[in-house]
Amino acid sequence: MESLYRPELATITKAAPMTATEKYFEIKLNSGRELGHKPGQFVEVSVFGVGEAPISVSSSPTKKGAFDLVIRKVGNVTGKIHNMTAGSTIGIRGPFGTHFPFDETKGKDILFVAGGIGLVPARSFINYVLDNRKDYNRVTVLFGCRNPNERLFTDELSLWAKRDDVEFLETVDKPLDTNWKGNCGVITTLFPKIKIEPANTFCVIVGPPIMYRFVIKEALDKHIPRHHIYVSLERRMKCGVGKCGHCQINGVYCCQEGPVFKYSDITHLEEAL
Amino acid sequence: MNAKILTKENLLSFVQNLIKTGEVVGVTKKDGKFAFDHLKRASDLVLDYDVTLLPPKKYVMPQRETLIKFNVKPEVKVEAVVEATPFTLIGVHPYDLKAINQLDRLFEENHVDTNYMKRREQATIIAVTPTRASKWSFWSSMNSIFVETGFDLLLTDIGGRYAVEIGTAHGDELLKKHAKFEEAAPADIEKLESIRSALPKMCSADRKINALTHEMTAILEIHRKSELWEKRAEKCYSCGSCNLICPTCYCFDVKEEIDLNLKDGSRYRVWDGCLLEDFAKIGSGENFREKRADRFRHRFFRKWSYLAAKLTEPACVGCGRCSSVCLPDIADPVKVINELKEEK
Amino acid sequence: MTKPKVAFFDFASCEGDQLQIANLEEKLLELLEHVEVVSFREVMKEHSDDYDIAFIEGSCTREADEARLKKIRSNAKIVVAIGACATIAGINALKNTRPLDQVRKEVYGDNAKWYETYAARPIDAVITVDFKLHGCPIRGDEFLALCKALLTGQKFVVPDYPVCAECKLAENVCVFEKGMTCVGPVTRAGCGACCVTQGAVCWGCRGLVDDPNKNAHKEVLDKYGLKAEEVMNKFNLYFAYQGGPK
Ligand SMILES: Cc1cc2nc3c(=O)[nH]c(=O)nc-3n(C[C@H](O)[C@H](O)[C@H](O)COP(=O)(O)OP(=O)(O)OC[C@H]3O[C@@H](n4cnc5c(N)ncnc54)[C@H](O)[C@@H]3O)c2cc1C
Ligand code: SF4
Ligand code: SF4
Ligand code: SF4
Ligand code: SF4
Ligand code: SF4
Ligand code: FES
Repeated sequence: MESLYRPELATITKAAPMTATEKYFEIKLNSGRELGHKPGQFVEVSVFGVGEAPISVSSSPTKKGAFDLVIRKVGNVTGKIHNMTAGSTIGIRGPFGTHFPFDETKGKDILFVAGGIGLVPARSFINYVLDNRKDYNRVTVLFGCRNPNERLFTDELSLWAKRDDVEFLETVDKPLDTNWKGNCGVITTLFPKIKIEPANTFCVIVGPPIMYRFVIKEALDKHIPRHHIYVSLERRMKCGVGKCGHCQINGVYCCQEGPVFKYSDITHLEEAL
Repeated sequence: MNAKILTKENLLSFVQNLIKTGEVVGVTKKDGKFAFDHLKRASDLVLDYDVTLLPPKKYVMPQRETLIKFNVKPEVKVEAVVEATPFTLIGVHPYDLKAINQLDRLFEENHVDTNYMKRREQATIIAVTPTRASKWSFWSSMNSIFVETGFDLLLTDIGGRYAVEIGTAHGDELLKKHAKFEEAAPADIEKLESIRSALPKMCSADRKINALTHEMTAILEIHRKSELWEKRAEKCYSCGSCNLICPTCYCFDVKEEIDLNLKDGSRYRVWDGCLLEDFAKIGSGENFREKRADRFRHRFFRKWSYLAAKLTEPACVGCGRCSSVCLPDIADPVKVINELKEEK
Repeated sequence: MTKPKVAFFDFASCEGDQLQIANLEEKLLELLEHVEVVSFREVMKEHSDDYDIAFIEGSCTREADEARLKKIRSNAKIVVAIGACATIAGINALKNTRPLDQVRKEVYGDNAKWYETYAARPIDAVITVDFKLHGCPIRGDEFLALCKALLTGQKFVVPDYPVCAECKLAENVCVFEKGMTCVGPVTRAGCGACCVTQGAVCWGCRGLVDDPNKNAHKEVLDKYGLKAEEVMNKFNLYFAYQGGPK
């Protein structure tokens, strides 16, 4: 019997700051094993001597040999890993949890709505779709963050903006005193700018807790069916394997039956959104 | 029915023999109440007790359990830790055993929790039929009077002598190896059966939930939005006492400790409780069960609805411990469910 | 890596907390491999104003204390309040519940007018405090845990739930069942409910939890037969500064 709680060792192969609070990491498992995740799943990251934190895998499974994490500094584990550089050893358990519907959406339109750090998990699916572009129909990506300094993966954002097989729209809540020339306003202000064929569209929403209610309303107003809307929810997690009880949303374990949920499966759970 | 008979002296020497050959844990007196503790001698064992302060769960799921050990310098190393050595648990009441049986299923389903399962495998359980019920207990309402599995041996006081029912081959072997016993005579069996049939009446008459267990779940579901939750929770301390003494609560927190040399350390889990304020709080400060009422209600739904769906029975065995430890007297399932039932 | 420099300071207190630290003996020696102590009246004569971490014991009870505290704050990178006097004004705040003149008289007799003591306050009423080590006195092992957190660049977290939780883990019989009363239900845990374990009651030395249900506890104390005045006394022993029930 293998222990559920023993992390395997992994090495940070690249580390680069992205914003004032977010840092990018590329991770390789020391065993050489592929992580083998599906878009939307997460891993438990160990910084030995500090603790563990659940972190979404940001890279697409199509990236081989290593995977990406983006970590926002909020506390002990996330703070400590921010001080780590390429070559440092961490621990990984997982991948855990449910994934985005990369199969059901084949041949369909996909509308991605990512707010702030929500781009991190969404990116694993966006890049998966783009790497298998012919399998999917229209792809729309909406991205919003508080200000231009908080934009993540700026190189990729400009690539997506340039591609003609992706409709990419972004906005910031406040431009600050940067020379931002793009859209201003919360992410829902992008909805009037897009055209969708609701019955054929799947909508994937990832962002901070308060964003969901507003964006889901927009999606429903656009007549996207409830069972075509997917969200990824964050909860406190201690074990990642359905034992510790911390992640429960009503009776649902977010680490097992989530973090990716079909909206129609959780509408009746008052603790969900 | 089949049983062996141990006289009081033979039971004592059986326990003494077990103590000689390994770790034995049993019910002992504590400050006017009872607690499971390491048994130094057989005479410390109390089998005539109402309820223990903490359930015997503490031996299958210890309050603190190391999960991994690691070194951070000179290079990072990590190893899994499973703390499991053989031990015998004597004096477990059926409701507490039922709770352990439930934990067995919950720790095994989906991902097998090695730490729990390995330790559980090391446990020999000698259960005992209650001779009295605490004034708070309502195990009759929760179908927790009898257990068919989980014990190696089951003792019942039949008037100065003990009837021993055998639950497993291991229990049988233990008895043969360490005890002097007789076969039960028909009169003994009769006595045993009459004691068993009187058990449902042992909990006091006012400690009855006026519903069958599956009806309780329905009552809760109907009254999810009842004012009762808010009203009772106004008096809640968020002290988690109702969680920490519960034989079926198994939520845990995971913590890390590093030695003073700043090189070696360990990660361990400790009991946690969903009534504690920060239980569902995340790094960004958001608390998904911010109100006392949210947390207060969650405990009931977790036991009577969420886990009941997995276990096909509520995850409450009616031990009455939560009712007895809650100083503002709001946590009692008997009152809560009966009151909800009266609401229309 | 150079060792962080550590200094200890005392204000109105019994110095019981520094004694707890001095009593750590071998553990303290092990700690000294990682830190350099530049000021610690309990064990050494030297003093220096060059330090990174300041541990402050005791309450602010005079105007002169304020200037001294501000100086410590400007010298130190990290300020830690240690012991109930420093974290919640402790027993010192008891006097806040009575007229100051009377207190001065009792304590200083005829010389009262020479001493400009005023209502006792915790350290964070005067300067920003980064971490608090609660307790009267503090626990040595918690002091070490805090040091390890600081040395490994982590924030030190104290429990935010009542002592009752730890009292249950200690498998104590609740004192309310033994004809006594206690303020454990509103007091911050972290001590393992040691006083109850030792046969006493919880007096509340770790201060209130962040969101104490004081009214619920007042009701419980009423129910268990305490008079209004006795309830106030229960709350005032350690919570005089933080405030009792309405
Ligand atoms: C499925 C999932 C995916 C996530 N993906 C990312 C990501 O890609 N990038 C990112 O930066 N963050 C992500 N988070 C959030 C991240 O896990 C928390 O910010 C992190 O756990 C905080 O830990 P800490 O030790 O730094 O904070 P502290 O505040 O020091 O943590 C205190 C305690 O709270 C617990 N805790 C706090 N917040 C959370 C939380 N949200 N989930 C679980 N436990 C928590 C910690 O385990 C710790 O014990 C994700 C969370 C979840 C649930
Ligand atoms: S219900 Fe009672 S025992 Fe449970 S947390 Fe609230 S006050 Fe404590
Ligand atoms: S909920 Fe209360 S009565 Fe039921 S098992 Fe837990 S402690 Fe016992
Ligand atoms: S907190 Fe207690 S131990 Fe510390 S100085 Fe004050 S009175 Fe003494
Ligand atoms: S003795 Fe005090 S701290 Fe312990 S459970 Fe009772 S009220 Fe709480
Ligand atoms: S039990 Fe109460 S008085 Fe005793 S140390 Fe703990 S908090 Fe302080
Ligand atoms: S994280 Fe432990 S149960 Fe989900």
